Amino acid sequence: MGKYILKRIGYMFIVLVVMSVLLFLIYNLVPNNRAYTDAKADMTAQKTRLRNASEEEKDKMFNDLYLEYQRRYGTDTDNMAVRYLRWVGIMPNYYGTYSGLLQGDFGYSYEFKDDVINVVQEPLKNTIFINIFATILALGITIPLGIVCAVHKGSKGDQAMQVITIIGYSLPTFVTAILFVWIFCSLLGIFPPSGMKTPGSNYTGWKWFVDRMYYMALPLITMTFCSLGSMTRYVRASMIDALSLDCIRTARAKGVTEKAVIYSHAWRNALIPIVTLVVGWFLGIFGGSLIFENTFGINGMGKLMIVSLRTQDFDVVILMQLFYVAISLIGNLIIDIVYGLVDPRVRVSA
Amino acid sequence: MKKKNFFGRLNGWVRRVFFGGSRDLANSIDVEEVVSPVGQIVRNFLERRLAVGALIVVILMFLLVFFGPLFMPNYYDSYTEVTQKNVAPTMSMMKVPSGLKNDIKMIDSYGSFSVGLSNSGDVYVWGATQLGTTGIDIGEIPDAVKEDTIAYVAAGIDHIIAISESGKVYGWGSNKHGQYITTDKEVLEQLEEAEESVSEEDQAILEEAGASSSVEGEDTEALEETTEETEVAATSASAGENIIAMPDELVNGTIDVANIKKLVCGYQCTAILMNDGKLYIWGNANAYQNISSFVDKDDLTDIDFTLNYVVGLTDAGTSIYTGKRGLYDQYRTNINEAAKSSKKFLGKRKIVSIYATNNHLCGMLSDGSLFFTGNFPNDSVAMPALHDGETVVQLEAGTYHYTALTSEGRVLSWGGSTLHQTDVPNGLDGKVTKVFAGAFQSYAVNDSGKLLDKWGLKGYLFGTDGNGADIFQRIIAGGKMTMTIGAVAVIISTIIGIVVGCLSGYFGGTVDIILMRVAEIFAAIPFLPFALILSAIMAQMDISENKKIFILMCILGVLTWTGLARMVRGQVLVARENEYVTAAKAMGVKEGRIAFRHILPNIVSIIFVTLTLDFATCMLTESSLSYLGFGVTYPRPTWGNMLSGSNNSTIIKNYWWQWVFTSIFLAVTCICINIVGDTLRDVMDPKSDRDK
Repeated sequence: MGKYILKRIGYMFIVLVVMSVLLFLIYNLVPNNRAYTDAKADMTAQKTRLRNASEEEKDKMFNDLYLEYQRRYGTDTDNMAVRYLRWVGIMPNYYGTYSGLLQGDFGYSYEFKDDVINVVQEPLKNTIFINIFATILALGITIPLGIVCAVHKGSKGDQAMQVITIIGYSLPTFVTAILFVWIFCSLLGIFPPSGMKTPGSNYTGWKWFVDRMYYMALPLITMTFCSLGSMTRYVRASMIDALSLDCIRTARAKGVTEKAVIYSHAWRNALIPIVTLVVGWFLGIFGGSLIFENTFGINGMGKLMIVSLRTQDFDVVILMQLFYVAISLIGNLIIDIVYGLVDPRVRVSA
Repeated sequence: MKKKNFFGRLNGWVRRVFFGGSRDLANSIDVEEVVSPVGQIVRNFLERRLAVGALIVVILMFLLVFFGPLFMPNYYDSYTEVTQKNVAPTMSMMKVPSGLKNDIKMIDSYGSFSVGLSNSGDVYVWGATQLGTTGIDIGEIPDAVKEDTIAYVAAGIDHIIAISESGKVYGWGSNKHGQYITTDKEVLEQLEEAEESVSEEDQAILEEAGASSSVEGEDTEALEETTEETEVAATSASAGENIIAMPDELVNGTIDVANIKKLVCGYQCTAILMNDGKLYIWGNANAYQNISSFVDKDDLTDIDFTLNYVVGLTDAGTSIYTGKRGLYDQYRTNINEAAKSSKKFLGKRKIVSIYATNNHLCGMLSDGSLFFTGNFPNDSVAMPALHDGETVVQLEAGTYHYTALTSEGRVLSWGGSTLHQTDVPNGLDGKVTKVFAGAFQSYAVNDSGKLLDKWGLKGYLFGTDGNGADIFQRIIAGGKMTMTIGAVAVIISTIIGIVVGCLSGYFGGTVDIILMRVAEIFAAIPFLPFALILSAIMAQMDISENKKIFILMCILGVLTWTGLARMVRGQVLVARENEYVTAAKAMGVKEGRIAFRHILPNIVSIIFVTLTLDFATCMLTESSLSYLGFGVTYPRPTWGNMLSGSNNSTIIKNYWWQWVFTSIFLAVTCICINIVGDTLRDVMDPKSDRDK
């Protein structure tokens, strides 16, 4: 097991490196020159002092500044490999200091006028906040529903659920979002259509929580609804598989109550594939949803991504993308490990 | 005889392909029926009614989307029409009310609704009468108007002006931009109600979206005051915005009806021209840049509105007056080439009357001939040639077209033809004594005021979007784009998936490890964010729109192949151990040939299922991208970007047609494709238990 995990971590590391190279190359496709922008800004700041300077002096000064910034940011060379290594923080820049991802220097957001690492914090908190509720809600509904459908498979109710769930997972999420805004805001008028808190309010404590939940209710309902379809089908399928096992027949034959058969014997067997899914899902908490956060105006990771893309704030975008990649890799690893733990039959051969 | 034989044989073939061998034969020789695998799959599939229904819907959708564009030759992506913005679904734009049908005195329209007047003085309104987000239904004619006998009516984009026989001037509809000032309590009540129904919050959002124009506190105040003292209201309203207020003598007093020459409404403005040259003009001065130079003008013999300019005809009949702009009247003060040539053209003739469309105008000369000036869009149809000695008796101008009645009784329509304005029906010649032109419609009427025929724009089945384009047509064009992108992306991903899967599964070892690691990398890429980044970067590059769309297809394809590759690999691993592969190896067949020619056909069914399901996924991804404002962008329609305007509650509520129909098309297509794919998977899997 230990060897297997080590090997997986090794692969993960390779994948991460390859992805970072890929992202770095994409990042360099963007016409975005931080050194140039900063040098220009410095020149503008010194405008009054340079009033009497001649054009040549100005040019020279600008070029000096530009070179200095390039050296500081490690972009004073055309060698992509060197630039990449500096970006990661393995090679020192011109002045001999290390300032890369490994040292925690993730870049600067021109849109928010702050270091990227600070920019990401608030949206990440919001995203985690809402996604924890969404996940708990979704799991709380889908698992019982899936079990009931599996137990009564082929019945009218099950068939109806089959159709409903296929609609649920085929409906584009933004269509569901629009539909729910229409139903809950326009027709019923019980929830606010967008936003995070009552405008102008400054609540704290419990009141803050209630206000937040009031605004989060509609996004939560929508997110839960959208995840119902696929999860219910998944639970149902694995439960049906579990119910057709020989051990279930044996248990029934020896007179175990139906309840015990379902919840004790079958459910434990069905849990194996479900657990992996749930783990993966919990990791999705950090990612945030591009569509929901944009439709409902939630200041989360997905919204930040779109805003940064629109304003061409690529330092933020690249960091977030790396973050997403890291999360999905860690998720895969955890799923594999959990799979081995939950199901002793699974041989984790390297 | 021979032909029948041929068809019989063909029928036999088809039956054998789908339903296996001949049943008659099987019965007669008493053996068990033999069914081919494909036959079995088709048979099982056909037994599931839901799946068959879904398949039919998908096929119909494909046909609609790929053959639909052939039936809309006038469609182009960047079409906009300012007078037809946000029109609700209706097909009643040409549906003259039955009460008016046999008794028509006049018909007028400017935007999405038409107003008609019967000879007995009753007013009728038809078309899309709900005025956008204002909450006003212009079809609700005030009681005062119903009771009175009306002599003149005219319609603007969101208001109607009527003048009664006694000279009272009525106005109803929207008056946020000074379209009219009224003391009529009923109208005021309606306005207030409408105001309430549109909450302030909604307005703020709408303004942000740029969908509506401003409502200031001053305006509402002004409204309340009108009930008591109109004069104050008039001044405060005009002070609030760039509004030319309705003359006080029309608000409180009456007008000399016998002396009226013409009543005409423009975008949000109205003009009344008297026989003695006196002109009343009021409304939103922002809509017409030169309107201020018409105030207090008293030497005009004709007036009309184009889209941005008011045009008048001066007393002398030698020039078209546009006030400040001075395009047509330059030669009076400053002679230049253009003016000289226009003077030369006119000679001794005089302009008798003018008829303005949105961007060009037609003038009638004293010798009965016509001239045109302005910009003619590409879709304009030339005026049909008149016969020798034939003259135009009556001419009416719509928003882009002209309809004329000639001295021989012929009815002609020419000008803008995008919305079928020029499709004059046959069999009208000689019977018609009067023609009317609505915005995009024309009506032919006989002696007694009976409506003989009508042609032009019926309405919009699914309404129009914020640019005035027909949503139905955009759905068809957008569906073509969405489905093409989905299909090409899926083909790319399938090809990559099959090749990688086959190679990896068949050769194993190092090849397998490398390829699977590559697949792992691709699978680790968070799909939507990555696609977003790529399309955002692509948007900055200087490449043509078509290339961008092709690259988008490639991105989608390249990001989705991993699932299929893994599945194919697994299947190949199983198939590799089969005897027929061993046999092929023993016969010395090359390895590549074994992988692609012997093993691949055995796993085709699984590939087919994945392909179907992936198609829906790719369509959805493209829609999501476009919905977020990346991917395909306006003016090119896709089902995703048609919905991107609908992410605020005001538009969702007030312009429901702008998202409902597109959503339905997108959702139904995806659901049906998924149902077909799911059922196929069930049906093709020989191990699957039917009762499961």
